[in-house]
Amino acid sequence: MKNKIKIARVSMDLTQQQLADKVGVTRQTISLIEKGKYNPSLKLCLQICYTVNKTLDELFWLEREEWRNGKN
Amino acid sequence: MEKIKDERLKLKNLKNIRIAYVIQTLGIIAILGYDFVTKGINGMTDNPLWFVFIITTIVTAYLSMNISVDHEGEKKDPKKGLKIHLIVLVSICVTSAILLPLIDEFNIINVLLIPGIFFVCGLAPILYLYRLRKKKNEDTE
Repeated sequence: MKNKIKIARVSMDLTQQQLADKVGVTRQTISLIEKGKYNPSLKLCLQICYTVNKTLDELFWLEREEWRNGKN
Repeated sequence: MEKIKDERLKLKNLKNIRIAYVIQTLGIIAILGYDFVTKGINGMTDNPLWFVFIITTIVTAYLSMNISVDHEGEKKDPKKGLKIHLIVLVSICVTSAILLPLIDEFNIINVLLIPGIFFVCGLAPILYLYRLRKKKNEDTE
């Protein structure tokens, strides 16, 4: 699923490793989430949101059209 | 060794365990199959691996029931299901108590013990299923 974690992370001046340490996962997991290759649990999504000071819909959102076209 | 906290790795680990379980089960089946071919059915059941195989099969069947109950589309009345299951089980036990002495000889094992074992072994999953359905109904209400 597409997301805006990378933009939010960079705007907070965090590296993948730093974000990973803060939310308690590995760097590889953050990398896969950013690439949209791994769908995190809601709990992890919220942890990431709190760390980068964003709301859930700001980071993880799919427009209806995108969803229909299967671009997730 | 550090405990894994990453949810993705936990999931991956479970998938790896599943692959290992499949390989292990195939190995057990192969060994039991070899015993069956070389030593016959008694040679196979004498192998301690037979008990491991049977126990893991029973555990898997019980765990699968948990999933099956969730998978049931329409809401079923647990008491109705319990009644039907008990009727079927009692009929099987009574039939076996009548037929076994006719096929074999008339003794306490054939009349009481074997149908009794059928009843106990059948009753356990029936009660478990009843409990699961009841719990599911309570949870969804």
